[in-house]
Amino acid sequence: MPRLFSLLILLVSVFIYSSIFHDVWESRKQVRTDIPAGYTIPSKFSRILSLGHQGILSDFLFLKVATFIGGKSGAGEILNEDDWQFVIQSLNVNTDLDPYFVDPYVLAEGVLAWDAGKPEEANQLLKKGMEYRTWDWRLPFFIGFNNFYFLKDYEEASSYIMRAAELSGSPAYLKTLGARLAYYGGKSKTALLFLEEMLAEASDPLLKKRLEVRLVALERAVLIEEALDKFKIQEGRAPKKISELVSTGYLIVLPPDPYGGKWGILKNGRVFSTSKLANAPQKKATKKEPTSQ
Amino acid sequence: MRSIIALATITFKEGIRNRSLFGIALLALFLFGLNVTVAGFFMRDVGKVTVDMNLSALSFAGLLLIFFVGVNLMAKDIDRKTIHLVLSKPISRSQYIWGKYFGIQLFVSASLLILFICSCLTVGLLLNLYPNYFIGFSWMTFILACFFVLVKFSVLTAIVVFFSSITSNSLITLIFSLSSYVAGEAIEEVVFYLKSEFAAQEKMISESLQNFIDIVSYLIPNFAVFNFTLEAAHGLAIPSQRVFLSLGYGAIYIVMLLILASFIFSRREFN
Repeated sequence: MPRLFSLLILLVSVFIYSSIFHDVWESRKQVRTDIPAGYTIPSKFSRILSLGHQGILSDFLFLKVATFIGGKSGAGEILNEDDWQFVIQSLNVNTDLDPYFVDPYVLAEGVLAWDAGKPEEANQLLKKGMEYRTWDWRLPFFIGFNNFYFLKDYEEASSYIMRAAELSGSPAYLKTLGARLAYYGGKSKTALLFLEEMLAEASDPLLKKRLEVRLVALERAVLIEEALDKFKIQEGRAPKKISELVSTGYLIVLPPDPYGGKWGILKNGRVFSTSKLANAPQKKATKKEPTSQ
Repeated sequence: MRSIIALATITFKEGIRNRSLFGIALLALFLFGLNVTVAGFFMRDVGKVTVDMNLSALSFAGLLLIFFVGVNLMAKDIDRKTIHLVLSKPISRSQYIWGKYFGIQLFVSASLLILFICSCLTVGLLLNLYPNYFIGFSWMTFILACFFVLVKFSVLTAIVVFFSSITSNSLITLIFSLSSYVAGEAIEEVVFYLKSEFAAQEKMISESLQNFIDIVSYLIPNFAVFNFTLEAAHGLAIPSQRVFLSLGYGAIYIVMLLILASFIFSRREFN
């Protein structure tokens, strides 16, 4: 009899457990989404608390940040300022724990510069990486890119690209790119070269998809810019409207902007798109449009 | 010398017979398996993550071995009073300490060797799965880092033997050894932090605390000396001078501690 009773209690317990199991996880899910952003223990403490396992702690912390960003993006949520501060803080601690770990730097470039519109913060992290990963050409390359594309500081960009070009393993075109940057500045074609390299480097599917759309947009901007340049040389003036390029035969058709904007020419003769080459919710992330001179 | 070897062999056999060894081996195998799964989550530094996880798994398994098996091997004789039987044989007390130390050390080394082979298989497997993400990886540095995990545990074993020679309770030995381990792993960070400019600006550290930390840093071993994970993870060059210095530091600490343990143990009375 007592045995039967125990069995009954066990069955009831299993039943209750299985019925509340789902609710427990659901409530945790709710708690996790309600928390605006996590808190990262400053590196001066976590280095001590890790008890010699700084490496594995940095791996764990990196996964945490990547999951945090991926989770928000997957749910279609836009990260707010607090969230970005958490990401920056975590990546900082992460690189304090293991300054040679390359993934946080790549993530910083991928999300801080592109999505958060914080190229300066990304540069700060990348500069820290450069102190340690002295052989890695990608870090100065990324800084150069950020200076060129987001901060429009062509001189600085050129100097970092030159530094990247000097390191072994860097693509051959970097050598000419550095010089071209200093000379041409903000041509869309220069941006295209950069972007192709970023795409080849990207392995995160989300980032890759975004870069691919941007690449198409830039390729089209380059196409229009080239037609515009030809028009200027042959006609001796700038076209009044962008459609004039099509009507005069310099362009067969006006390629659509993949972000849904409309192409136009600014008074100073630059090509721009009304979408600013960004999806509506990501406006903050990518403010700058490729321009031509 | 012969009695030391005999005692070491007995201790080793006793350790190998311990059932908890299987649990620890299973745990380590689980960690290596986890490594294979988790490595795919990372974007490019798969090699670094693999090395980190392997060395941490080795470290963790070694810690469990010493704290659950090693401590008992040392304390059991005193706890169960079988020490009277051992000491009635023609064996001096200091020989007993050294014999026990080498026995536990042999046991820990043999167990770690098996785990090391498993670990190499994991690394080899991942190296084949993700050959492009192991650019900086070097087997030499990895093996050296694994060897220094063993050196670290040699020092920890000496600490366990030392505390066992003072107390007759295995729990107290465990607590003291664990505290020494935690302090030893953290001491370097604390010392350098206190010396950093940041801490000086804050002016929150009193001079007496500073002196206390200085004294502690002499007393307990700095386990960070034996940590080559960063170098192994990124395939960085390790100067041979550092290797020999670390080895010398470990060896001299072990010798000092065991001689002290022998002194204390020789003057001890058993009830």
